[in-house]
Amino acid sequence: MTSDSDQTIRERWVASPSPAGGGTTRAGDPASSVDEVDLTPVRTYWELVRMRFRRHRPAVISVFVLAILVIYAVIVPLTTGEGYKDPNIRKVWDPAEIVITFDPFTVEAFAPLGYDEIGQNVFVRLAKATQTSLVIGVAAVLIIAGIGSFIGAIAGFLGGRVDNLLMRLVDIVLSLPVLFIILMIVSFFGTGDVSVVIIAIGITGWTLAARLIRGEFLTLRETDFVMAARALGVHSRRIITRHMLPSALSPLIVASALGVADSVVAEAGLSFLGFGISPPEASLGNMLNNAQTYFIRAPILIVWPGLVLILIVLSVSFIGDGLRDALDPRQKIESGS
Amino acid sequence: MSGDPVGNDILLSVRDLRTAFDTMDGTVKAVDGVSFAIRRGETLGVVGESGCGKSVTALSILRLIERPGRIVGGSVDFGGRDLLAMSESEIRDVRGNRIAMIFQEPMTSLNPVYTCGRQIAETVQAHRSVSRAEAWEKAVEMLDLVGIPDAGRRAKQFPHQMSGGMRQRVMIAMALSTDPDLLIADEPTTALDVTIQAQIFELIARLREERRMAMLLITHDLGVIAEMADDVVVMYAGQVVEQGDVRSVMTDPHHPYTRGLLASIPRIGERRHRLEVIPGVVPNPLNLPAGCLFRRRCPYAMEICETPPHLTDLGGGRSSRCWLDAEGRAPEVTLPEAAHG
Amino acid sequence: MATYILRRTLQAIPIIIGISVVVFAIVYLAPGDPTARFRTPKVPPEQIEALIRAYGLDRPVHEQYISWASTFFQVWNPDAWGYSFLSGDPVLEKVLYRVPPTLLLMGSALLVTIVVAIPVGMLAALRQYSLTDKVITTLSTFTYAIPSFLVGAYALYFGAVLLPELTNGAIKFPSFGMESLGSRGDPLDLLWHLILPVLTLSVISIAGWSRYMRSSMLDVLHQDYVRTAKAKGLPRRAVIYQHALRNALIPIVTLIGLSIPGLIAGAAITETIFTWPGLGSLFVEAVGTRDYPVVLALTMVGGVAVIAGNLLADILYGLVDPRIRY
Repeated sequence: MTSDSDQTIRERWVASPSPAGGGTTRAGDPASSVDEVDLTPVRTYWELVRMRFRRHRPAVISVFVLAILVIYAVIVPLTTGEGYKDPNIRKVWDPAEIVITFDPFTVEAFAPLGYDEIGQNVFVRLAKATQTSLVIGVAAVLIIAGIGSFIGAIAGFLGGRVDNLLMRLVDIVLSLPVLFIILMIVSFFGTGDVSVVIIAIGITGWTLAARLIRGEFLTLRETDFVMAARALGVHSRRIITRHMLPSALSPLIVASALGVADSVVAEAGLSFLGFGISPPEASLGNMLNNAQTYFIRAPILIVWPGLVLILIVLSVSFIGDGLRDALDPRQKIESGS
Repeated sequence: MSGDPVGNDILLSVRDLRTAFDTMDGTVKAVDGVSFAIRRGETLGVVGESGCGKSVTALSILRLIERPGRIVGGSVDFGGRDLLAMSESEIRDVRGNRIAMIFQEPMTSLNPVYTCGRQIAETVQAHRSVSRAEAWEKAVEMLDLVGIPDAGRRAKQFPHQMSGGMRQRVMIAMALSTDPDLLIADEPTTALDVTIQAQIFELIARLREERRMAMLLITHDLGVIAEMADDVVVMYAGQVVEQGDVRSVMTDPHHPYTRGLLASIPRIGERRHRLEVIPGVVPNPLNLPAGCLFRRRCPYAMEICETPPHLTDLGGGRSSRCWLDAEGRAPEVTLPEAAHG
Repeated sequence: MATYILRRTLQAIPIIIGISVVVFAIVYLAPGDPTARFRTPKVPPEQIEALIRAYGLDRPVHEQYISWASTFFQVWNPDAWGYSFLSGDPVLEKVLYRVPPTLLLMGSALLVTIVVAIPVGMLAALRQYSLTDKVITTLSTFTYAIPSFLVGAYALYFGAVLLPELTNGAIKFPSFGMESLGSRGDPLDLLWHLILPVLTLSVISIAGWSRYMRSSMLDVLHQDYVRTAKAKGLPRRAVIYQHALRNALIPIVTLIGLSIPGLIAGAAITETIFTWPGLGSLFVEAVGTRDYPVVLALTMVGGVAVIAGNLLADILYGLVDPRIRY
């Protein structure tokens, strides 16, 4: 990130402690009383970003919540292996139990959330489901950010006819009934396949990222430092990757954060309808679908995957909000509904 | 026109007005103990750089300060009543009726979804018991009065169909539609082209004269004050630093800040190598210097300036907030060259 | 205005063609033979051949596309959209049959959303920073994060399982369908069936819209013209309802058009949960059974609805904002 954008300078002004409060008497010395505003940078751009992010309390809490979820989704499946698939006929509908043993995370020992209709340990299964959802969310966003920044960068950098053409493409994708298209792709190209789910979500969701990057590029194209790079004969690809992409990073990051939430929800919705990840693999959506079938018998079963899903969506969107405010207080990105 | 106290002729008297804004970083005293008075039919100019509390003073008089701002203290005496102590419905009866206001931004001060005529008629209807048709007639009449050609047709137009100058004329028509005793004009021409500015001021001056209406004119331009005002109040960082009748303040400024403002007006027929500007900026209201608020930009700053100066009565209705006046007369020196670094 | 609508409709044509290409490509590229379902030992191979020729499956892809697309837009022909693989009914008829229930569900949900969200958002804005505002803002932020199918599942559990249990069966919301057996056309019965799905669809959109309304209102309350209205001495009521609200509603009105695609998508899930006989549940059924003609038709209908929604949003915008001229 360039540290000499006008934003940064403004921030320095605000951030630098004014020397006025000091006890030194400068009265009577007109020469020294002229430039009392200290312009030396007190904090770097990233220090300021961190500072502003920390001020956004929901975002900070969300980082902790998300960290706990990630740890849960990594550690538990690591120690229990394929255990989330194991049915245990003797444990069907068993209530929660916590047995302290030397090996606390084995499927047998630790079931604070009880067992489901075929005796699967809900705590272990939920961990695997969280992992699946997070993996899908992150992977889909990588595709979204990749396609989005590629198309947005080309459109914004070249402008003119290419831009026009690419924006028509964006219009078409925006006009697609997205859920229908995702359902079609997932259903026709392989129900239950994680990678198909990821691709389906990814290739329908990149329009916001592309538009943001394009907008940023159209502005950047006219800025002095890109003009200078061009005048010096720097290769276009280098201008894009070295000079423009880093500056367009903040809208991309924010769009990605929103994309993670949307993707996780999309996967859960698919699996809930029976098109996404199918058992015995675990996903939040198929756990919810399953829980709905046994609603009357065990209403509590729908709470856990639902709670995790809401926590992921909430924390990711709060982090997105925090990042948006921290990276660029001027930018307003409406979270798509 | 000189400052003889004509007590019973006072229309509006502001005493020790204090308005503060609560921000995340602390309380900002935007207006800090401002006092002045306007006589019937007189124009009082309030002048100062942006951010010195002029507009907040004007808004405070009509209690139009929104959160996070609040009026902390003082009184605004108008026709024997304190505006700040009135009930909500009483002050509403004063607003737009006995005291009208026009704003800096004609482009955004009119509601985009209603026609100009409707917005004027609405004001008339709020304060006079007239029918809708009569109010509309009055609106057209007012538009005609402020020099809008084809007023009947123009009244049916929306603000966006008019130019900035036209819109400010609509604002003036709206303000005058109820024959107010006092017009508060907050930088009425700042957003307009120079040629339009002169037209608008001419219009305001003419209508004010015809209707014997008092005016509180807020501007950052001492030239405008010289043209339009009888008395002047110079504000700096939320305080009055000098006041008096326009002629004597212009010809014999006391406060170094007033001198700086005067020195920054280009004059025809005067040869100067450079236009003087006051060095530095208005201090951050969250971090005001101790003592005289102008101290750090003042070429005459002394040890004593670390103690806050009080408003010194200079006689003849004039006063100045400077230690030089409290201790005698300021020496006549030009701003030192070093100040332009 | 008429020219504007005409121009926008013409501009929509390439986009609709683009959508049809994408949709057709997905179906064409889908692995598996569309005739596979007919290949049973009882069906002679000649008959399969005939089927392939009848559906034009042996022709090159662009010919297949053109023949599908050119017949597709002849909506005045009852067989323009082909016949369902599953039931053999004309797709057009099948789809049209499902339109009223979806419109009813979407319309009711939209109505409930508008009626609740606008006052709630306005209240929060007028009392900014108060306890009321904080409660509304927090609630809507959290509610907005709940996926619609979760709301649906909980609504179903609450209305059809928990409530009857608590009230000893006195209150029991129907858990599926549009009407009870034998009470066809009874408006009260229909209303009874509508409650849970409408609740599901509107809860989240109320959360979203009230947040939007709040920020729109706050934005307007800080505008110069609202200050002018106060300075004119207008009563608070007039300042808020005539000057502020009228302007705050401008972006909200366009939301109505823009929310239509979201409602269709939301309806797919909600309709499936409550087995509401609308377009969304028909699509889910058709996708699951690979009923390609139905899938193609519904996706095209969805795409046209998105475009129509956008157009509607722009037209409404022009109607409520005098600054917009076509």
